[in-house]
Amino acid sequence: MLRFISRRLLLMVPTLIIVSLIGFILIQAPPGDFVTSYVAALEAQGDIIDQDLIDGLRARFGLGQPLYIQYWRWASNFVQGNFGYSMGLRQPVADIIKARLPASFAITLLSMILVYAIAIPIGVLSATKQYSIVDYTFTVIGFLGVATPNFLLALVGLWVIYLSTGKAAMGLYSSPQMQNAPFTLAKVLDLLNHLWLPALITGMAGTAGLIRTMRANLLDELPKPYVTVARARGVGRVKLLYKYPLRIAINPVISTIGYTLPALLEGEVLVSIVLGLPTLAPVLLNALLQQDMLLASSVIMIEAVLVLVGTLISDILLAIVDPRIRGSI
Amino acid sequence: MSSTRDTGATAPTPELAADTLLSVRNLKTYFFSREGTTKAVDGVSFDVKQGEILGIAGESGCGKTVTSLSIMRILPKSGKIVSGKILFNYDNQTTDLAAADPESREMRSIRGKEISMIFQEPMTAFSPVHTIGNQIIETIRIHQPVSKEEAREQAIEMLRRAGMPSPTRNIDQYTFNLSGGMRQRAMVALALSCQPKLLLADEPTTAVDVTIQAQMLNLLRDIQAELGMAIVMITHDLAVIAELTDRVMIMYLGKEVEYGTVEDVFYRSQHPYTRGLLGSIPKLAPGRVEIDPIEGSVPSVYEMPTGCKFHPRCPHYMPGVCEKRDPPLIEIAPGHAVRCYLYGGKEALE
Repeated sequence: MLRFISRRLLLMVPTLIIVSLIGFILIQAPPGDFVTSYVAALEAQGDIIDQDLIDGLRARFGLGQPLYIQYWRWASNFVQGNFGYSMGLRQPVADIIKARLPASFAITLLSMILVYAIAIPIGVLSATKQYSIVDYTFTVIGFLGVATPNFLLALVGLWVIYLSTGKAAMGLYSSPQMQNAPFTLAKVLDLLNHLWLPALITGMAGTAGLIRTMRANLLDELPKPYVTVARARGVGRVKLLYKYPLRIAINPVISTIGYTLPALLEGEVLVSIVLGLPTLAPVLLNALLQQDMLLASSVIMIEAVLVLVGTLISDILLAIVDPRIRGSI
Repeated sequence: MSSTRDTGATAPTPELAADTLLSVRNLKTYFFSREGTTKAVDGVSFDVKQGEILGIAGESGCGKTVTSLSIMRILPKSGKIVSGKILFNYDNQTTDLAAADPESREMRSIRGKEISMIFQEPMTAFSPVHTIGNQIIETIRIHQPVSKEEAREQAIEMLRRAGMPSPTRNIDQYTFNLSGGMRQRAMVALALSCQPKLLLADEPTTAVDVTIQAQMLNLLRDIQAELGMAIVMITHDLAVIAELTDRVMIMYLGKEVEYGTVEDVFYRSQHPYTRGLLGSIPKLAPGRVEIDPIEGSVPSVYEMPTGCKFHPRCPHYMPGVCEKRDPPLIEIAPGHAVRCYLYGGKEALE
């Protein structure tokens, strides 16, 4: 097991190098660079920019240099923990990430917990009561959940909360004072009060999909001979469900942790924009639009690390619950 | 003295003779689906004496397995016992299992303890993510008030008796660690872990190769002699029946067509279907192999023939008789009965 984990950790290094290369090249791929889009933005406001200033900016950020030199400069600094300076936000990249990563992480984590806490019991219920009214109801809700765009759900959520409480469910805290207050119970509660909506909306599509997966897996396992045999041994009804088929049906669900994580990170973009949340996703979107390379590349790298760690965690969990997998690693 | 337990039965349960362990009477188990009703078991009756080995033989789809699932009350959702009795003698009382609630405490305490079952596929009979020991120990602890350590000792002892090469190690193995023969032995150990009075063995030798088959039969015979339980051996393999059983019942489409001792049924077979079944076994004659199969094939479950269900395939079909009504069971010699108009019962048709 230790060998397996260390091998997987080692494999992450080449994976991350490849991700960083592709990311860097793709960010640079559109014509022009940050200065082009910066100048275009200023000119749109009626400012006149002289060529010296433009050249000065290019030289300062090293934008005139060949791509591989730019990459090397960024990458070698990155591994030393120096993430560089965001041209667009005029702040060190590290500060931006430090300020926004916790909120992103909290929403993603909370929404993962919600996804599993909602989807697994409903999936089990749907499977054990197959073709009942309960099953059909959740099937319809599930399809709606998959088919409804997140931003629409966010708008509807805002509207419903405004109608019922008269408050706008925007931002992370109810007031600026709260935001600067030290972390007390009241602050955490206030935070949770604002987090559940984005977490729920972000997780909606995933939840709906996972209900279907859970239901299908359990329906596959329920008629298997080992369930009949367990019944023939006198095993009671409840244990017959959770000890045997559920235990096996949950395996594919565990393996979804690996790809649920990136899906949630992406899904969070529009929700964060609509609900005005200070998370990483909108920053990444802007950085990509402005070709703010250092910021965009760094955020992409951090998300890549999260995805790889998520996959590793799900593989380790799988090996723990399933001896067949444990035997083969 | 009536001995009905709290099984929800309204009519008093008839008392069985003390030497009879199980009496299935006119059992009908049907499967209901959108396509129609499948009469998997359609009025079968038989007795199992204490400590005897009864063979049930027939083609696939004749209701052998459904009969045993009905006795255990572990039918799939779509299956239902429509009528009939399953009288079972235990604790000095007779209980009608057909009238009991399948999920009742009583039924659960019978399953695995009083009656247990060996299944066809030992690979899939164990949960792949639990050790075989886990499942055997669980069974022991459901039915006996023993500690984990004691149950483990008992499980190891059972594995040893079932002929596992190193029981103390095998107990912590998963099915995918074991060979086919060892899996089947583990299955036997599991079924016998609580020393049942009745063992339903459903095709226990079908999924294993011939050498292991012979070992399995010897094992079952030895354990039966040691523990004195009764075995119902369900198989399509007539050689297994001839090898192991005292009495045999031939089933065709959910009903018994002939029963008697192995000698009666194999050497003095009367029913055209039994003869056909025996004729289908390849005989090794010098120079060539003779097979004399039954004409036609088993009819579709949705288009059951009227009268005797075998009449469309029967070489002795009597027009105007066989298709009218199902023939009665006629005892042609003590303990040897046949369901066929060739041996009488035509009078009732007039």
